[in-house]
Amino acid sequence: MSLKLSYTPLCMGKLQMMIDTNRLRCDVPVDVTQLMATGLFSISPQQKEGGFMLENEGIDHFKATINIEVQWANEAVIASVERNGGFITTAYFDPLSLTAAIKPVEFFGRGIAIPRRMLPPQHLIDYYSDPKNRGYLADPAEVARERFLLAQKYGYELPDVNASPNKDILLERKDPRQIFFGLEPGWVVNLKDKVILKPTDPELKEHFAS
Amino acid sequence: MTCSAPRLLLQHLTRNVQGLNATLSVAGYKSAVSLDKIYPASDLDVTKLQTPPKTDGLNFSGYVPMNKVQVTYSRSNGPGGQNVNKINTKVDLRLQVTTADWLSPELKERIAKKYKSSITADGFLVVRSDKTRSQQLNLADAMDKLRHMIHTAAYVPPPPSAEDEERARRRHEASVRERLRQKKAHSLLKQGRQIPQWDE
Repeated sequence: MSLKLSYTPLCMGKLQMMIDTNRLRCDVPVDVTQLMATGLFSISPQQKEGGFMLENEGIDHFKATINIEVQWANEAVIASVERNGGFITTAYFDPLSLTAAIKPVEFFGRGIAIPRRMLPPQHLIDYYSDPKNRGYLADPAEVARERFLLAQKYGYELPDVNASPNKDILLERKDPRQIFFGLEPGWVVNLKDKVILKPTDPELKEHFAS
Repeated sequence: MTCSAPRLLLQHLTRNVQGLNATLSVAGYKSAVSLDKIYPASDLDVTKLQTPPKTDGLNFSGYVPMNKVQVTYSRSNGPGGQNVNKINTKVDLRLQVTTADWLSPELKERIAKKYKSSITADGFLVVRSDKTRSQQLNLADAMDKLRHMIHTAAYVPPPPSAEDEERARRRHEASVRERLRQKKAHSLLKQGRQIPQWDE
């Protein structure tokens, strides 16, 4: 029984087109939830699909400054995002978290607490801990060094983030246990009454913060 | 554009994400596997400015400042139909060798000597690449070629050791001996074809 996941390919050209046609906003951090909200993709975590992988096609025409989180990205794609002043992170979603992330409204409708996102399995933890892959478990200081080295390798000057007006958006990162931006594990989101219920019991709080 | 109720709610959620981000970054959810716990000694700054490594003498560090290099794009040759006719994938990288202050003078001299054929009359070292279908990858290839040129120009082979010199001397003497032996043998052969002269 193979543990190997498959990923939905997303070309850089398609990503640029989605941004140009206002199908995808790049003034918020883009992750699986935002990409699925475009309505153009379907992911089934039960069929061992892990999420999105960015592909090379269209890297020359990619112009957007974007903070994007996908599940797999190769070096050329990372260079293409970073040369335009953006940031890219590769993050792992376990099947349960991915089910919640791709259809948040349906998930909130079930009325259960947001789960903690599980860490990657053994065969994937190296990938997501490597700063070269911009893994979400890698040391950001080492990622900074790899950004510099990649800019030297691909022949561009790394744009200064501090001068960008979208600095906060570009530097926004999730905690490794977080599924949604702005929502913690343990919270129950009630969309009908527009209310978020947070746990008060210390044991529950300890569990969801572990 | 028609929007169903779940879509409206999702749009409401995504539209308000920015506001939620602002509140959460103040609160700061940190689990037990947050990055500050995995890397306690690190400053976790992804925007940290990196100091480029310096090149001193013939030790080329590999760093090429991109603001000192001129890159132009043009169309590639070969088959490819409309794509090759319209898309600028060929990369031309130019570097003024004499005014490159990030290279040491001795290294610049060696580059000028070794790659004389790649340097124009104006003093620009030219590197071209149209290896792939992508402008970005071709630029990476051109950078690689440039670095290779600088590295090979900087390479000074190590002086021969005493053993190498001794070996070279013995081989040279052996080849001289063999050459003289063959010469004498050939001479005897030619003499043998002469009519013998008997002096009475």
